[in-house]
Amino acid sequence: MSLPRPALAEVLARLGPQVRRGGLLPEPPARLPSGIPGLDRLLEGGFPCGRLSEIAGPLSSGRTSLALALLAASMRTGDLVAWVDAADAFDPASAVAAGLSLSRLLWVRAPDVPAALRCTERLLETRGLALVLLDLALPGPPPHVAPAVWPRLLRAAQAGATTLVVLAAGRLTGTSAALALALEPAQAHFSGTPCLFEGLEVRGGLVRGHETPAGGAACVRLHALREAG
Amino acid sequence: MRVACLRVPDLPLVARLRAEPELVGAALAVTDGAGPRAEIVSVSAAAAREGIRAGQSVAQARSLCAGLALRACSPALERTAREALRDAALSFSPRSEAAPPGTGIHAAEAACFLDASGMGSLFRSEAGFATALAARAAALGLPAFVAVASSRAVALLAARVPGEPGEVRVLAPGREAAWLAPLAVDLAAPPDALAEALTRFGIHRLGELARLPAKALATRLGPEALQLAKLARGESDPIPIEKTAETSLEEALELEAPLEQLEPLAFALRGLLGRLASRLEMRGLAILELELGLDLEDGGQEAIHVGLAAPTLDPKTLLRLACLALEAHPPRAAVEGIRVTASGAVVRADQLDLFRPAGPAPALLGRTLAELEALCGVGRVGSPVLPNGHRADVFALEPFTLNCAPVLASETAPAGPIQALRALRPPVTAQVRVECGIPQWLHSAVANGSILGCAGPWRTTGSWWSSERFAHDHFDVRTSDGTVSRLRHDRIRHTWHIDGVYD
Repeated sequence: MSLPRPALAEVLARLGPQVRRGGLLPEPPARLPSGIPGLDRLLEGGFPCGRLSEIAGPLSSGRTSLALALLAASMRTGDLVAWVDAADAFDPASAVAAGLSLSRLLWVRAPDVPAALRCTERLLETRGLALVLLDLALPGPPPHVAPAVWPRLLRAAQAGATTLVVLAAGRLTGTSAALALALEPAQAHFSGTPCLFEGLEVRGGLVRGHETPAGGAACVRLHALREAG
Repeated sequence: MRVACLRVPDLPLVARLRAEPELVGAALAVTDGAGPRAEIVSVSAAAAREGIRAGQSVAQARSLCAGLALRACSPALERTAREALRDAALSFSPRSEAAPPGTGIHAAEAACFLDASGMGSLFRSEAGFATALAARAAALGLPAFVAVASSRAVALLAARVPGEPGEVRVLAPGREAAWLAPLAVDLAAPPDALAEALTRFGIHRLGELARLPAKALATRLGPEALQLAKLARGESDPIPIEKTAETSLEEALELEAPLEQLEPLAFALRGLLGRLASRLEMRGLAILELELGLDLEDGGQEAIHVGLAAPTLDPKTLLRLACLALEAHPPRAAVEGIRVTASGAVVRADQLDLFRPAGPAPALLGRTLAELEALCGVGRVGSPVLPNGHRADVFALEPFTLNCAPVLASETAPAGPIQALRALRPPVTAQVRVECGIPQWLHSAVANGSILGCAGPWRTTGSWWSSERFAHDHFDVRTSDGTVSRLRHDRIRHTWHIDGVYD
């Protein structure tokens, strides 16, 4: 049974500023799966599309493997992707083994971090790329990036509906990242006669997520090129 | 056949104003050299109003106008202005050619011809076409006269009639003689002897010359007079104009003083690149390659090649690329002159597939790629390609385009996530202790400690027939610091390097 209109108006007037007109909740963004089942379960579907995400970890923690898997998964739907490489560490042979179609990948070998950031911004402003991966995992101390850069890149990614993923040795993007994944090495598998390197086992932990609760973890087993071939 | 003539009467002045548009409207005189005794070759309208004339000395001219701007003749500027005039013609018709250099009173002119057959139907009338042609030339900084007639010589003659720049003259077929009749014989620039003879006979107008009997004219005044009379009647032979195919253009500038710093050089380059881009745009082309030619103070020359990832006409991108090239290859001496040669390429519209996700707009992508290359350097932006060979970490970069092969999911999806290698460029030097051919201990900037796991060696060798022969042993090693890396032993040089880290 509903209140008559005059009574309703009186109630609203009494409540005053405690009552505000509400709106529809924004829809959660679509997800870009990485193609790694355990990781996608941890991330509740994958990386958020049109947002900024971060993958951080030391050497041999599986960052590059995860990044290539993500690019390959994006390419399987026919999308174009870009790798902005401030570290000049991209290995085409690994990319082919991971299932990437090299002709659909734009590789930008930036000479330094400022050039890489500028290139990333230009690519996001161009629009039409499904995924841009910014590799800032340089050896040595973490690169200095002005705090204002990340919100600007996030806005550009949202405007163009391009997923931006930052690869780094440690957390860089702060609160601008919708999702931050921290990787660490768990085990390196050497076995057989003759001895072969069979791949790394890494542990991924979700340290930040807008729609996904942080704190979860997953183990991922990576397979060496020879074993997969 | 119909022929249009595009003519600039005073090339030294127009070429200078094209390079320095800030002097338009100013009192400007172009001289044949430097110093107070140099002779004035050409004057602007504002200078003419001050009483300055061609033939005066610089000292005389300065006495008449203290604020007179003086510039020396520049053959480089005049050459590029001629080429720009031809570009304006080529933007309407591929059948275009430069007119022979003028003589006598027309020595300072620049003209070109283009095949105007059928243009009247494209522009509603030949006058409309001629007006559009004049406007196109003006957009390139070349105020010109335009005339349309049935032959080159008649069109050139009509374009020489004095008037205001931008004026068009259309001589209808069969009515050339009537149109030319009242014009002075001097407009046809006859040889001095013939001109004197005609004056002696009282022939001052082309109409008077056209009425003379041909046989008597040839007998008394020679074949040149016969040709001139034929021209006066509008009967000059219509020779077809050939199609031009060149796509390479040049702009040049001689500097007032030698320059060593990059910033003033960049300022000079900005104008050159802007003019080049305008000319190529008129041809429906964009710049794909640049060649910077520098004339040095020590008499030498240097050439710097600049390639672009994608054709572009964006002046900022072109300037940035040129400046990057100059920073990478600074000239050994101060620069006295700059020449920029651009190769053009057609910007093709890519048709996107309805059944593929939409990609970037082709024109915008092209500009972005050129900007990325300006930021990163030439040859550092593109799609990677793995060439055939056994050598590790060999790759090439191809231009990134939207015309890429579709992805077949069944062919490319691996069974599980692949262990990727993170390349180290350049490879990191390592010190390795080896026992029985197996690495036991490693020290480097990337990985350190005792080797806890080792796979290998995997031997690669090749190019034994050339100076690039190689013989490598590769190991996958895990060091006590937790890093898993690919170690390489060069069996020829006996060195150890880390090629990459498994990540």
